[in-house]
Amino acid sequence: MALKALDIYKILPKKNCKECGDPTCLTFAMKLASGKGDVTLCPYLDEGARSVLGASTRPPVARAVIGVGGRSLTIGEENVFFRHEKTFVHPPGIFFEVSDTSPDDLILQTTTRVYSEAVTRVGQTLQWSGIAVRCCSGSQSRFADVIAAIEGTGFHLPLVLIADDPVLLEAGLAKCGQFRPLVHAARKTSANAITAIASRYDCPVVVQDPDYSQLLSLSETCAGHGVHEILLDPAPATLRDLLITASRLRSDAIARSHPGAGYPLYVNAGNILGSQAALLLAILKFGGVIVTPPLPTHLALAALTLRQNIFTDPQRPIQMSPGIYRVGNPGPSSPIFLTVNFSLTYFTLEGYLEATGVPCFLFLVDTEGLSVLTAVASGKLNETVIKSAIQKADLEALVSHRTLIIPGYAAQLSGRVEDATGWKVLVGPRDAAEVGEFITREWHA
Amino acid sequence: MGTTKTGWEGRIATVKIGATPIDGGTRTRTYTLGGDGDLPLLGVGEAAGSVPLVAYDICDDPALWPDLLKSILGDKIHDPAELARRAEHEYGADMIRLNLTSTRRKDSVDTSALKRTIEEVLSATGLPLIIEGSADPVIDSEVFLLCGEVADGENVLLGTAEADRYRSVAAAAVAYHHGVIAQSPIDANLAKQLNILLHEVGVSQDRIVIDPYTGALGYGLEYSYSVMERIRYAALKGDRDLASPMISASPDALNVKEVRVGTLEERSATGCMWEYTTALATIVAGAEVVVVRHPGSVPLLKKAVLGLTADSAGRGE
Repeated sequence: MALKALDIYKILPKKNCKECGDPTCLTFAMKLASGKGDVTLCPYLDEGARSVLGASTRPPVARAVIGVGGRSLTIGEENVFFRHEKTFVHPPGIFFEVSDTSPDDLILQTTTRVYSEAVTRVGQTLQWSGIAVRCCSGSQSRFADVIAAIEGTGFHLPLVLIADDPVLLEAGLAKCGQFRPLVHAARKTSANAITAIASRYDCPVVVQDPDYSQLLSLSETCAGHGVHEILLDPAPATLRDLLITASRLRSDAIARSHPGAGYPLYVNAGNILGSQAALLLAILKFGGVIVTPPLPTHLALAALTLRQNIFTDPQRPIQMSPGIYRVGNPGPSSPIFLTVNFSLTYFTLEGYLEATGVPCFLFLVDTEGLSVLTAVASGKLNETVIKSAIQKADLEALVSHRTLIIPGYAAQLSGRVEDATGWKVLVGPRDAAEVGEFITREWHA
Repeated sequence: MGTTKTGWEGRIATVKIGATPIDGGTRTRTYTLGGDGDLPLLGVGEAAGSVPLVAYDICDDPALWPDLLKSILGDKIHDPAELARRAEHEYGADMIRLNLTSTRRKDSVDTSALKRTIEEVLSATGLPLIIEGSADPVIDSEVFLLCGEVADGENVLLGTAEADRYRSVAAAAVAYHHGVIAQSPIDANLAKQLNILLHEVGVSQDRIVIDPYTGALGYGLEYSYSVMERIRYAALKGDRDLASPMISASPDALNVKEVRVGTLEERSATGCMWEYTTALATIVAGAEVVVVRHPGSVPLLKKAVLGLTADSAGRGE
């Protein structure tokens, strides 16, 4: 079990020397307890104390980094089973699989897609993580050539190298080992050879075994051989296997009931019956690296959106920057809809406004990302806030009229807003879905 | 903290839907929802819950239905009985949800037309039914009593009870022995309060299905997903007022911006995937019933449910 701050404090030297960068041993202990500290920063701990603290203060799921540079992928460091307990930390990497027996132009096409395809949603850019290269040719030179060709693009995408034979993996690593690809996979029979090669390049390694306890002892073996960054592949055959094993791993990692369980999960969705559902399930349930055949556009968009949703910090909803947003090409006589800067409110309202076909302004007031109801209740949305937002956005220069449409749930503010700002207030509908009907009925500019 | 090994104190109540001739109805099958003694889909043996069901959504007035569906279904969108038949025999749905959307028109309620629609759908399909009645307090009583009476003996699920308007639907459900869908706005505490209110007016626990409201993928799904996980977790920890099966329907999944761009074929493919992803996430979060509108979503979800539940003996009916 994780140690509490006071238990950790008892083990620390209590010198308050500040050499770790913290003002006191107690604040350092609190940092360690929350999983954010680094025990090696204290120079006065002996080996024994360090290993006790290290094992119990690192996050339940260890970190792994795949690739180098701007597109490198960090996974692990997860602390909870349910996102509502705190938050999930690192979205899983999604890798498109290519085979080294595919034509070169197809491989480069997929590589280019992974590099350049990007979806912008709620102000975030969503991208694929990298390429998984599977050696199906059985040829060291072909595998190495394909990897060299992918690296030759200069995209520096994280890679997964997939091969059964350590000799093949070694040939691949000779072309890209310095870029820290993920090596798949160390199995019971090949663990020694694979860990030796991976250690040489300091690469993260996937261990694979369909048997749960074998998988955990294999990861411990690899850790014992000096591989620091490990992923677990339980090689599930069905969606049910995936759900059960993924849940058990996360649960055991959090309970720290088995040291071999505390690593990120590797899922090859393409190997599971119902690979599309497997991809989505792995996003929901604890995937760290997910390998999939290149996805058709419509599924791609849904998968990226699901990953963004699930990995949104529930404690901090995604906010829009306050200010003016245009729907269509609004002019000086177009209506202004005031609302909060909670991203969901914005996107819902924007969608319905767009559907009306009436150009208008969306005027977002900073409520720290709170919804209309909560913002009104907590006073984050009131006449003073609105008045200063009007000035800041220079609303008077934007339109020739002086009418503001406010959300139905903020109706109680209408009188006070009129008094404070001098603008006429129209109370809009409570439900964004009714905004079209509202606009045709109420707006005569 | 979640665990898949240790025992939980609580267990999800079971709710029976549908009635075959033996029970005085005309359905060809019935379902028992709920019964889980573990996290969603993880229970085995005694702790296994019901296999998640896929309901197909139809209505008697498609004026406010998504444009995409009007294009996909063509004229048949005006024929709920024909759609119910297709949903059972072509799409492979487990249940039908009939929305009496005609009651949204502000003029008077045409009770004979409503009665006829319900009867036609009941005779077009042998699947158990969910009936969504009025959405307006003024006509609630009239509409729900009519639904209850016309479907007497069929043990349908009546919707929707909300915190400020639950008495009419509850009264109809109690009088004619139907179940009730209790909808609350993405909040576990409000879901609990509504269940308590329903108990107080005589709706027993084995008649309540919680609808925590489902935001579409990209439009609040994560809130619904987490509220469903919270509700299930609280129930397993022993909160009996939350220990009811859940239903998830995302009315906006086919209306979102992403589904409004491209050719009809592209919009249809994206819409199907959008609805499928939304529904699959809620199944993983604990929904016993998901409701969808795109015909293509039904077989995809059925296949996923099979993959999620296969090889666990003793699940479902």
